[in-house]
Amino acid sequence: MVQEALILQDIHIDDFLTIFVSASLVLVFGGFYVGIYAAVKVGLLKKWTMPLGYGFWILTGYCLYLMGSLMHVNDFTAKALVVAAIGLLLLPHAVYYMQDRVHEENEH
Amino acid sequence: MANNYLTTESKKLATWYFTFAAIIFGAQLLFGLVAATQYVMPGFLFEIVDFSVARMIHINALIVWMVFAMMGSVYWLLPDETGIETVGIGLGKLLYWVFVAAIVVVVLVYLLVQVGPADQTTIWFINEGREYLEAPRWADIGIVVVVLGFIYNLYATGMKGNRSGIITVLMADMLAFAGIYLAGMGYTDNISVDQYWWWWVIHLWVEATWEVFVGSIAAYGLITMIGAHRKVVEMWLWIEVAMLFGSGILGIGHHYFWIGTPEYWWEIGALFSALEPLPLVAMFIHVLYDWGKQQGAQEAQGKEVSVITNKPAFTWFVLQAFGNFLGAGVWGFFHTFPQVNLYTHGTQFTSAHGHLAFFGAYATILIGMFYLAVQGKNGIKVMHATKKSIWATSMIFGGVLGMTVALTLAGYVQVLVSRAQMGATWAGYFDGQAGIWFAQGMDWRLVMGVVTFIGFIILIQDLLSIGKAAHHER
Repeated sequence: MVQEALILQDIHIDDFLTIFVSASLVLVFGGFYVGIYAAVKVGLLKKWTMPLGYGFWILTGYCLYLMGSLMHVNDFTAKALVVAAIGLLLLPHAVYYMQDRVHEENEH
Repeated sequence: MANNYLTTESKKLATWYFTFAAIIFGAQLLFGLVAATQYVMPGFLFEIVDFSVARMIHINALIVWMVFAMMGSVYWLLPDETGIETVGIGLGKLLYWVFVAAIVVVVLVYLLVQVGPADQTTIWFINEGREYLEAPRWADIGIVVVVLGFIYNLYATGMKGNRSGIITVLMADMLAFAGIYLAGMGYTDNISVDQYWWWWVIHLWVEATWEVFVGSIAAYGLITMIGAHRKVVEMWLWIEVAMLFGSGILGIGHHYFWIGTPEYWWEIGALFSALEPLPLVAMFIHVLYDWGKQQGAQEAQGKEVSVITNKPAFTWFVLQAFGNFLGAGVWGFFHTFPQVNLYTHGTQFTSAHGHLAFFGAYATILIGMFYLAVQGKNGIKVMHATKKSIWATSMIFGGVLGMTVALTLAGYVQVLVSRAQMGATWAGYFDGQAGIWFAQGMDWRLVMGVVTFIGFIILIQDLLSIGKAAHHER
């Protein structure tokens, strides 16, 4: 039986900088999204800044797409990146919901 | 410093652990400076303390001081969390001296003997040869005995006293922490098999059990320093445990890309590595959320004063949330996929990530614990920062960040020249290191290392003197 070998496609030399910068921005923008969401919920920022937070999540998604395309990720990894992006979108909502419920149960 | 305000033997023992941890922390930085100087001046201490020896002590001291500070942190919080004195404290004190003696002997052997013949005597008495875990086998066994005693103290106290959520998590986590160490103690002459198990210790420690440990310490800190609600903090801790273990355990796959393991590890490593930053982002929200909530509640009552009862420690705790996100998250994520890791593996990128991740995730919060101990030891109700604490924090954090940026630039040159252009050849390796950007990166790393070391000296001065300052509330 011949086993199928996994082969990585070469990355173009001019793409490395874009890959590193976009990969870093994934977490920087993701951090801004989560930070703005949490700050609005605890009253440190005004409510109108929330769309700005979601704007940062869209930028996060774009950076993931850019990074993945230039790296030539395979289908499986591309799906993993989509799952990670959706996870990041839902994470602060889920955490805030749980935190808030526990606060309410214990303080009111 | 007097121990007048310490009411339990457990907290006194914790201060012993913190003191020795601080000494080894200094040794770590000193030997790091030696190794950094050797990149700039290769003849420096040649055949006296060669690069291989300086680097080995630098890295081993890092692990050891953190383990000491972690054990000290547990002894510090045990009486607070359980409401009783640590069970078997006499054993704890005895094991402390055994551990200190073992570490001193190991370091002296590293420095004075350095290398031995390629046989079992070297493995047993000089150096086991596994990066990060070079301790000879007799010391390995000694460490296991010490940690078993420590775990007995933790379990016996947790079962006798009040077992809070933090204690329960620590009990489970410390068992895994100790158990995983055993995976790095076997012997095999197959390097792939050896590396496979060795990564269980290195990866599963730093990206699973140590992360859970700092989650527990952060929970304790938020309760003691800003009065965060225990139920909220502990619920959050369980979420962190689930997320950290859920992504961290199989995240080990990103170390199995190139060591001879099957190719399915590419997929496993890529998937779980993509998820690994999520708990780090979540930990960041946790601190922000609790701080904002507590400060908001205080201000709603018309009180403008800060809710923080230990400013220097809380600063380090906040830096932990930020540094963990930056060092483990950002610097880890950009070279974690196999497609790009093929080029970055073994370059200074790894070193940049290692420096900022270890510092951001662990050193910061453990320094925070040093300040909590100083506060407790001096009976201070609200501890304010001093000029020295501000200088120390700025210089250490700025220095490590500077080193990271310098190493990243050097690593980028290696990726382009040594890997992408010259295909990881022998000539490519040397051409990459001969480039001006690499050389200047190494120069700046040394400069920033010196800044970090000066910051450390100021930190020690501050830890020794801040308790006597008059501007605290007592």
